[in-house]
Amino acid sequence: MATPPNPTDGNPQNPVPEAVKPTTDDQQDANKADAKETSIFVNTEPVREEQVQNAVKFLSHPKVKGSPVMYRRSFLERKGLTKEEIDEAFRRVPDESPSLSTTQPAVANQGGQSQPISNIQAQAPTQYQQPAAAAPAAPDSKLGTLTASRFHWSHALLAVGVLAISGAGTAVVFKNAVVPRLKSWIRKVVLEDGEEDLAKKTNTKPTLAEEAAAAAKAAAAAASDVARASQEMLVSKTEEKRYFGELMSLLDMQVQEMKSMSNSIKKLEGQSNIPGREVQVTSSRPSYANGSRADYDSRSVRSLSPPPASVEPPHPKSYMEIMAMVQRGERPPNIREINDLPPNPDQPVSNPRLAPKPKPWEAAQSQGSSTYPHENSNGLNSYGQDNGFGPSASVYQSNGDGSAPWWQQKNVRITEAEPEENKTSHPSERPVQRSSWVPPQPPPVAMAEAAAAIRQPKKSPFEKEQQLTDEQFLARSAEVTDELQRVTKLSESGGVSDIGGGSPVVTNTSEIQREEEGSYYEA
Amino acid sequence: MPVFKTPFNGYAVKFSPFYEQRLAVATSQNFGILGNGRIHVIDLSPAGTIAEIAAYDTADGVYDVSWSESHDSLLIAAVADGSVKLYDLSLPPTSNPVRSLAEHTRETHSVDYNAVRRDSFLSSSWDDTIKLWTIDRPTSVRTFKEHAYCVYSAAWNPRHADVFASASGDCTARIWDVREPGSTMILPAHEFEILSCDWSKYDDAVIATSSVDKSIKVWDVRNYRIPVAVLNGHGYAVRKVKFSPHRASLIASCSYDMTVCLWDYMVEDSLIGRYDHHTEFAVGVDMSVLVEGLLASTGWDELVYVWQHGTDPRAP
Repeated sequence: MATPPNPTDGNPQNPVPEAVKPTTDDQQDANKADAKETSIFVNTEPVREEQVQNAVKFLSHPKVKGSPVMYRRSFLERKGLTKEEIDEAFRRVPDESPSLSTTQPAVANQGGQSQPISNIQAQAPTQYQQPAAAAPAAPDSKLGTLTASRFHWSHALLAVGVLAISGAGTAVVFKNAVVPRLKSWIRKVVLEDGEEDLAKKTNTKPTLAEEAAAAAKAAAAAASDVARASQEMLVSKTEEKRYFGELMSLLDMQVQEMKSMSNSIKKLEGQSNIPGREVQVTSSRPSYANGSRADYDSRSVRSLSPPPASVEPPHPKSYMEIMAMVQRGERPPNIREINDLPPNPDQPVSNPRLAPKPKPWEAAQSQGSSTYPHENSNGLNSYGQDNGFGPSASVYQSNGDGSAPWWQQKNVRITEAEPEENKTSHPSERPVQRSSWVPPQPPPVAMAEAAAAIRQPKKSPFEKEQQLTDEQFLARSAEVTDELQRVTKLSESGGVSDIGGGSPVVTNTSEIQREEEGSYYEA
Repeated sequence: MPVFKTPFNGYAVKFSPFYEQRLAVATSQNFGILGNGRIHVIDLSPAGTIAEIAAYDTADGVYDVSWSESHDSLLIAAVADGSVKLYDLSLPPTSNPVRSLAEHTRETHSVDYNAVRRDSFLSSSWDDTIKLWTIDRPTSVRTFKEHAYCVYSAAWNPRHADVFASASGDCTARIWDVREPGSTMILPAHEFEILSCDWSKYDDAVIATSSVDKSIKVWDVRNYRIPVAVLNGHGYAVRKVKFSPHRASLIASCSYDMTVCLWDYMVEDSLIGRYDHHTEFAVGVDMSVLVEGLLASTGWDELVYVWQHGTDPRAP
């Protein structure tokens, strides 16, 4: 019965978690074969990779990162993961974000926050922290003015840029509008004045070109200004976002702190008598509104489908009164001050007067399989008593009046009047195994007639006796027809041999039948 | 059938493993919200009445009680102030309690005595932990801390001395081995809080859990992904579930729908009995180990009923 991978002496359970994967088959065979050496109360499932990956995804979620480890474990346990799978998932999750560890000290400097909470901060603005890791150290007020001034600047720059563009634009437009005018005017002049106008035109062209070039330069300068301004605006916006994110995370931290503080307050209150219990009553009493613990984040997962128990069972009116009283802080008037401490904490416990009795399932087990040692013998040996059953039996008998006490008598009335309830009238007599419907046994009338057919008329006292015993057999059990037949036949044969001889059957049948009928009416 | 009226609201009832006519009842004032508690020890008389032979008052409500398997006069009580108290019936009332073990930081919700080893017991608490104790030690032997929420029930395996199960408000049931540092199996048994669990007495790998989701599920730990049976029929949360000590597949349960139900989980139509004698939440139920078919139940209506299965608990 030895299982090779497991040492069976000492503590067989220790190597189980490690040995689970390679030796599952061996384990399961061992479990079936011998429950003594390998416990059946241990998980023998291999680690399921899919479940582990789902768990890792869950644990990597930023919201989950902020919740206490206990609640994360509890959630995964409720989803059906084994301990090994949960441990494996926890092992994997911190490996995925090494950068967080470097930014944590910088972020933690802000207010000395606890590690898991700093994770939130670290994760949200990771991308923004790279350019300005030292910037968060600057006091917020300064940032405020800077941002304000930046706004101011960017606004001013915007205005300047717009003006420049419009200026350049109008200038360009103006030039475009003027040039055709000039041209037309020049043409006029040319037409009117010929050569003089030509000289003038050549003179104006370079000036026009120069002006255009200057305008273009101005426009380009304005455009570059605008571009610079918009770029700075962008930068300031990203910085804004970062600071906003930090603000949010700070707020989250505050909320977490408040939650944990209220939690600890609740716990403290729970130790004192008066106001404590009702707070917990609503959350931990047979509670139907399952979401009453505010800091239990994972409960939100459960409350998605409305619990069937959200319909509260109707509480007695006085219960509600007392709840209301307690929640108001009043103490119900009927409570007494009681000192229930032990008067002598070292009081020795009195010696037992009775030996422990064997349990009904132990008796059955010892008759059946013998895989388990007779465990209750330990108890008996420790008391050194062998007279366990004698005095106890007499004790019980002395209580009764000779007949069995009322609690032992099994009245087999049907209790429920509801037709749809499926109750039998002989529950105590059903066999332990599957209780299928057993067809009622055919009444022994036929047998009794057959038996009585052989009977002699003079044997009426015997007959009545035998028929009475027949009734008793019928009353006790409905299954022993064969036995009944056997018994009646035996009794008949016994009766016949006793009396000896016998009148012919034919003449006796009518008498016998009459007697039979009479006896039936009697019984 | 006799009825016993308690001054406070009933929370648990347990038959003595030594005396077939004896029961212990745990009660709490003001529905257990805030108030005193009392433990009653009652005896059934052959004449059909119930007599109280002892009563112990506590400053805070008593949520559960358990008889010792080694000492016929010893009782363990789970008290709402987080303590576990031991009472000895054979000592005068002024000497009781003999011990008050105060380690839990929240209400102690259940206690269970080891029927195999007979020397140790468990307490489960709303502080998310389970503690292992022995009678002779003033402090706990071990503390099992893994659940994420209140542990409503802990139950020893009737065949394996070191194995027990726990049911918690974190919607998981766990199997533990006291030789192991942590739980050996996690059963995500229900989508809602699990209020009670109990082992089958005849199949050591079968366990039943009952939950706020009104169902009872029966599991085989060798193949725990799918329940062996799901027993529906209660109208509200099922507060306590108990396997019969005499019939392998018989389960008794009590619920906030004020009924006590009997189930046979191997049968297609599992509900085989329903008793609606309580007029408030039925919170405690027990089946006698010494007398087959004898049931007891208690509830917030301050009554304790003891009756034989198949009879009417309210019949005179």
